[in-house]
Amino acid sequence: MKKLFLVPVLTLTSSLCAMAADEVAKSPPAAPYQQVSKLVKLPDFLPGMGQLFVDPATLPAGPFLAYDHDGKLVSTIYMLPTKDLNPDKSFDNLSAPGGNVDHVDVYYNAGHPGVEEPHVHVVLWHVAAADEASVAK
Amino acid sequence: MMVARREVLGLWGGLVAVLSLSRRDVRAEEVVEIRMHGRSDGSHVWFDPIGVLIKPGQMVRWTNFNPGNSHTTTAYHPANFGRPLRIPESAKSWDSDYLLPDESFSVTFTEQGVYDYYCVPHEQAGMVGRIIVGELEAHGGWMEALAASSGLPDEALKAFPTVEEIMAKRIVRRV
Repeated sequence: MKKLFLVPVLTLTSSLCAMAADEVAKSPPAAPYQQVSKLVKLPDFLPGMGQLFVDPATLPAGPFLAYDHDGKLVSTIYMLPTKDLNPDKSFDNLSAPGGNVDHVDVYYNAGHPGVEEPHVHVVLWHVAAADEASVAK
Repeated sequence: MMVARREVLGLWGGLVAVLSLSRRDVRAEEVVEIRMHGRSDGSHVWFDPIGVLIKPGQMVRWTNFNPGNSHTTTAYHPANFGRPLRIPESAKSWDSDYLLPDESFSVTFTEQGVYDYYCVPHEQAGMVGRIIVGELEAHGGWMEALAASSGLPDEALKAFPTVEEIMAKRIVRRV
């Protein structure tokens, strides 16, 4: 009986995730996401990341949605200040609207307008590693 | 007195910057070029050179050569976000605000002394610089003034080249 109940629940959850991914698959994503280069003084297209959008209420962690030159979603990025990676702080329930993840990169960033302190980028790539080239320049 | 101006440099400006940095003997009328750099993944950012010795009346021009980031050149001065005074008391403060790639900002220095500055979003990552204008007096009090100022991140304090190194080399690079 429990198994029979789980089937429609899992199906519904899966459908909702797919719908969320569809909503952000192409640039620009719907509100509350805003173009980062219009929120702070940064180049509109960041080599290695792409064109970024974020809901300002979620700063600094994000998610930031990154698009290539054709407006295709390529990654979801979380920016976690290094000073907040300690026993008294955690980042819980960060939304992940981008759908399937191919692979993940984690690296240090010295800071930039919007997140003006050293932090870690956690990048959920929605494309294969070979296709990261679409946002290289 | 200090004069500041903001501009956008083209490719030729960048080439001039490279050429001028390679010259060791800096004349008063020459513009000293300081580049704002960063790795492509943003993991490291820096001013190049990080320390320079110039003459009174000489202009310094900062240019952002980092295609993936914005930078500022901002004097350590209470007028800038209440930061500690680390430029001569009689000198005027400056703050370029954010410079996008290829944008530049210039300041002409007339007062002798030590000038410390930083990049607003990258101070905690140690992106700072030091300019010495003129010849320093043996006991000019600059060391005491710098030692007394506090409130700087450790990474910034560790990054400054020493006055002695700048006086000896005229141009200090940490690339």
